[in-house]
Amino acid sequence: MMLDDQQLQKLLRIKRFEQPPPGYFNQALKEFHRRQREELLRHSAFQIWFERVASGIWSFRVPSYAYGAAFGFFLVVTVFVGSGIWNPSQEQLQASSSVTQAAPVLFESLDTQGQSLALNANLDWSKFDRPALSTQIVPALQPSPDALPRYILDGRPLSYKASFSF
Amino acid sequence: MDDENLPDDETLVRRTQTGDTQAFDILWQKYSPRVYVLVYNMTADHEDANDLLLEVFAKAYRSISGFKGRSSFYTWIHAIAVNMTINFVKKRGRRLQMSLDDLDANVQNDPEFIDLTATNTPIREVDLSELQQRLNEAMMKLSVEHRAVVTMFDIQGIPHAEIANILGIPETTVRSRLFYAHRQLQNYLEEFRKK
Repeated sequence: MMLDDQQLQKLLRIKRFEQPPPGYFNQALKEFHRRQREELLRHSAFQIWFERVASGIWSFRVPSYAYGAAFGFFLVVTVFVGSGIWNPSQEQLQASSSVTQAAPVLFESLDTQGQSLALNANLDWSKFDRPALSTQIVPALQPSPDALPRYILDGRPLSYKASFSF
Repeated sequence: MDDENLPDDETLVRRTQTGDTQAFDILWQKYSPRVYVLVYNMTADHEDANDLLLEVFAKAYRSISGFKGRSSFYTWIHAIAVNMTINFVKKRGRRLQMSLDDLDANVQNDPEFIDLTATNTPIREVDLSELQQRLNEAMMKLSVEHRAVVTMFDIQGIPHAEIANILGIPETTVRSRLFYAHRQLQNYLEEFRKK
């Protein structure tokens, strides 16, 4: 004869009588306290803080409306950029062309006059204003003002005294 | 301390979150026997159950600051216990050798036990220790996920909906796991009887 569902359930319920010896849970609580103290001594304050933060992050749930809000924001940005009201690449292009505004004039004259550049006395040399166009090259390392002067004669330094003023 | 005079779980959790360790001790007193039954019946080993019980409560204590009260503390600590035990059993592998604790003497007065042994059932002929051994062996034949459901429903008497919350699975899955586990247990106990 096979056990029916009810008999099986009654049989399983008998397992709740499998209990640890009396006083076990009080002993286990003492052991729990001992382990907690041990853990506190073993872990640094940072580790404990990190574990708490990590468990806080894992238990954090993104509210359902946040997904909708993020999608809405994405749509607005897409429409804004797509309609051409705001175009960051155009703005950058305009900004860079204003910096080099003087250059086309110079190149124009160079292009049109081409090879006769050296012979043309009427050329407006003010367009070749080098300080305005070229960048100044400044040495990255400059001697400090209080550095001692060092003299070199025939490739040999007269003084080997180091300045130590880096 | 009587259970009725104890503060409710919400208060105890809040007190623990503010650093009151005695509040957590009360939670221990309330729930450690239930967590023990769950873990013991899933591992079938007292030593493992003892270690896991301590680890479950240690994890609960560390994570209690993140407990927002969306579920009851009972559901929450059961979820921790089930997950930790499933991981532990999977790592440990199948171990058929079991530590068999003696049944509590109170079982003799249990109406269900009297009913089972008095009527004409296959159980009538076997003695207590053999019955316990048969049950444990049958339980160990189940997968750890099925054992968890059987332990919570049949041994602890937790309703289907609550088990679904603890395991984070639909209630229909709980019912189907129970159905499958009962069939397996019945088959195994029947095979044993024929020997």
